[in-house]
This record gives sequence, structure tokens and C-alpha cells, in this order.
Amino acid sequence: MPPSENILRFHDVTVRYGRQAALEGVTIDIPCGSLTAILGPNGAGKSTLLRAILGWLPLARGEIRIGDSHLQHALPRLAYLPQRHAIDWDFPITVRAVVAQGRYPALRPWQRLSPRDHEAVDRALAELDLTAVADRQIRRLSGGQQQRIFLARSLAQGADIFLLDEPFSGLDLFATEELTHIFRSWEAQGRTVLAAVHDLHLARRVFTRGVLLARELVAAGPLDAVLTEANIDRAFRTGHCVHS
Amino acid sequence: MITFFIAPFRYGFMQHGLLSALLLSLSGGLLGCVLVLRRLALMGDALSHSLLPGIGVAWLLFGPSTPALFAGALIAGLLTALGSALLSRLTRVKEDASFGSLFIIFFGAGVALLSRLPTRLNLAHFLFGSILGVGAADLKLAAATSALTLLAFLGFYRSILLETFDPVFHRAVGGRGGLVHFGILALTVLNLVAALQTMGIVLGLGLFLLPAVTAYLWCDHFGRMLGLAVALAMAGSVAGILLSYHAGLASGASIVLCLGAFFFLSALFSPTHGAAGKFFHRGGAEDAEK
Repeated sequence: MPPSENILRFHDVTVRYGRQAALEGVTIDIPCGSLTAILGPNGAGKSTLLRAILGWLPLARGEIRIGDSHLQHALPRLAYLPQRHAIDWDFPITVRAVVAQGRYPALRPWQRLSPRDHEAVDRALAELDLTAVADRQIRRLSGGQQQRIFLARSLAQGADIFLLDEPFSGLDLFATEELTHIFRSWEAQGRTVLAAVHDLHLARRVFTRGVLLARELVAAGPLDAVLTEANIDRAFRTGHCVHS
Repeated sequence: MITFFIAPFRYGFMQHGLLSALLLSLSGGLLGCVLVLRRLALMGDALSHSLLPGIGVAWLLFGPSTPALFAGALIAGLLTALGSALLSRLTRVKEDASFGSLFIIFFGAGVALLSRLPTRLNLAHFLFGSILGVGAADLKLAAATSALTLLAFLGFYRSILLETFDPVFHRAVGGRGGLVHFGILALTVLNLVAALQTMGIVLGLGLFLLPAVTAYLWCDHFGRMLGLAVALAMAGSVAGILLSYHAGLASGASIVLCLGAFFFLSALFSPTHGAAGKFFHRGGAEDAEK
């Protein structure tokens, strides 16, 4: 097991929307430095879990910590990546300007970007192979490049835990391969990727660990142990019962 | 030729009118960009109409006092926004329909109220403005509004950009999105009230939206879009006031017409984002697919 400051701990996490429970008593340890897929049917609480980590949803019960520290103290380590359709691709902004947004949280209102900030932006652009297109408007990029802009922004932010909601949706085969490759190299560098994924087949190919939800925890751990036929059956059948 | 440009401004009221329009071009151009990019253009239009009863009641109770007019307008605007949010939650009616219904009711109430107002000013004055009436108090309000808006944009440029481009990210990094959103709406109401005298309640938004949407057709950079929108708003104001003087047209309407001309020309001929550009540069789009 990694040192304790590198474990994302969920203890009895319960989230309700009104009277409706979206997550019920979820207790898991997710080791940092892994590629973890959050799996389950629609309405299983995948996005809810991501939002709960970011502190956007009040927990009805339980707590989430990184090691021993409360999440509020670890916010700079966390980066949330928007879903593709949440972005207005016609917005008058260049790739470099979006990546530079990663430095904004560290700045005071009137402060300008320092040379060190610019370096961090350049490094992030280079790592994700966007330097050549840095001054283009964001619409004038391929789907894979567009996805990488936001990965670069979170690198510029200095984050090492990446929360993604359906990162593969809308990507073609080539871009999917590319993103998989990036995730793998991040894992090797000790970064943590936590992604809501609805496609079990894809999850098997890309991720190493999994958390299977159906409002409550069905299984968590190495992906092969999680995605057994019995577990999938349980998750998806409860999921459907809940919907009907 | 020179007299064509100079002659109108020998008159004090024309100088006041011009100055007030230029001041509001600065703040309106900035705000307009945010409204256009956040797709709030139509909401801004509806909001401007809904201010009328607030202004009417304030006028009735306090006379032509600027703070009272602003407070009345702000209250009417907030009631419309909150009321429609409440309606859409409590009933089956969706947000856009409830907003559309409420603003037209408010507008109707405003028209009814103003038609009974014991003043020499008539309804058309509130709706369409009149540059002849720009007084010292109006100029002060325009200057204060413009300065406040400019300061807000300078001080919170990055928050405004983040909230406009990616509100989810803004929130994730601890930004106060609700505050920025409310601030933008409050500034919009303030600017609409300040523009009441020159542009009127119906045409006021034209000074904000038209330059912004025109700049949107030319710029791929948020900061440049803001700058161009302000420049266009100022150019349109000067051209509009000259047109209004020489052709004897209403000031608000001629400013809107000049800005409208900029917009149509840009929509047709902007090389990158206009209709002609789209038509001739099909190759550019394919290039991006690679």
C-alpha cells in the first residue's frame, strides 16, 4: 500500500438529492498513482462521487479525506475536467489562454502571470504536444487535441489527482488510443486518474482499478476482480430496479 | 465637411448626449461581450423590458431621482428573474416560457403605469430615449456606471473570463460563480438605467449587444473582443448621433441603426467567421479536421 497521504479515503459517504439517495454508505480506499474507473449503470452515482470529492455536494453522512487531511486542504491537488459538450468551442480564446487558466487560482485579482507561470504553461503545452497549435482558437483543433487542452490546463494548475466525467465520450478510435497512452504514462509518473466511465469494455482496456457502484458500493479493487459476472449482474440489475 | 462633424456639437445638449453615449459605450461594450458569450442576449432583452414598471413606480413616488429609478429598476429586474425561477420550479412551465411570460406582464404593467403618469414626459421617451434630455445628473450617473463597470472588469477580469468560459472549472478552483453572475446582471441593470435617457429602455440593450456580437465575428481572443466591442460601440454612438442630428431621427434609434450596419457588414464579410468567409474557406474547416 502507498503511504497514507496518498490514499483517497471514503468513509460511509452518503449523498442525497432531496429525499432521494444518490450514494449510500460508500466506504473505499483508492490508492493514488492508479488509473481508477468509476463504473455502474446510469444513475448509479458515478458523477455524484466525483462531485462529492470536489466538495460540491454536501455529504448527508460520512467523510472523504486524502490521507489524514481534509479535502478542503487538498483542493490544489485536484483537477476536474469538463465534459466535451460543456464547452463552447466557438469561444474567442486560444489554446494557450485556456491552459494559462490553470495558473489563475494561484493569482491575486490584480496580479499578472509571472515568468514562472508562463514556464508552467509552456511545460504543460509541451507535455501534451500542443505547442505547435498553442495560438490557435480552440475550435480549430482535432477532437483529441481539444481533449488535451484541458488535461494541459490541469497540469499547469499543478494537480496530481485528475477527476474526469466520461472522458472518452465523443472521441474517435485514434483519440481514444492517444488518451489511453497519456493516462498510462501519467500512472507511471505516480499521477492519479479517477474517471466516470459507462463503457465496461473500454474500462477493461484502459484502467487498472475499478469502483463499481449501484448507489451503494458493489465492488472495488483491481479491475479483473471488480468486473466479475456476478458483480456486473448485481450492479446493473439493482440499477434497473431503482429506475423502474 | 468638417462642419458636418463639428456643427452638431456646438450645442451643449449635443455635447452631453455624445459624452453620455461614449461613457456607456465603454461599459456597454464590455458587458455585452459577456452577455453574448454566455448566451444571455435574449434574456438581457427580456430583462430590459421588465425594468419598466420599477422605473414607473419609482418616478411616481420619488420623481426623477436617479437612485430611486435605479432601485426601482433593480427590484423589478430581480422580481422578474426570481419570479420566473420560482414559477418554473413550482409549476410545469419551463424556465424560458416563465421568463418570457413574466417579462411581458411586467412590461405591460409598466406601459399601463406610465400612460397614467402625471408628467410632461411621455411613454415614448422611456421606451426610446431622447438625447435632448441628457442633463448633468444623467451624465454623472453615466460616468459613475461606466467607471464602476470598467473597474469591475479590470479587477475581476480572470474571474469573469472563467465564469463565462467554464463556470464548472471556476467553481472547482474555489471561484464565486454566483457572485460574478449576479454582479454581471446588476451591472447590466445599472447600465440600462444609465442608458435610459439617451437610448431608452427598449433600445438601450442595442448599445451593449450589437457591438459585442459584431466583435465576436472578428476576434479569437477574449481581451481583443472586449476592446473591439468598446471601440465599435463608441464609433456607432458618434455616427448615430451625427445621423440623428442631420436626418432628424431619434437618437437611440439612429445609434442602433449604425451599430446594426456594422453588424450586418461583419456577418456578411468577416473573413473568418462571416457568411462569405464560411462560403469561400471551406478548405479551412477541413484543415481543422486533421
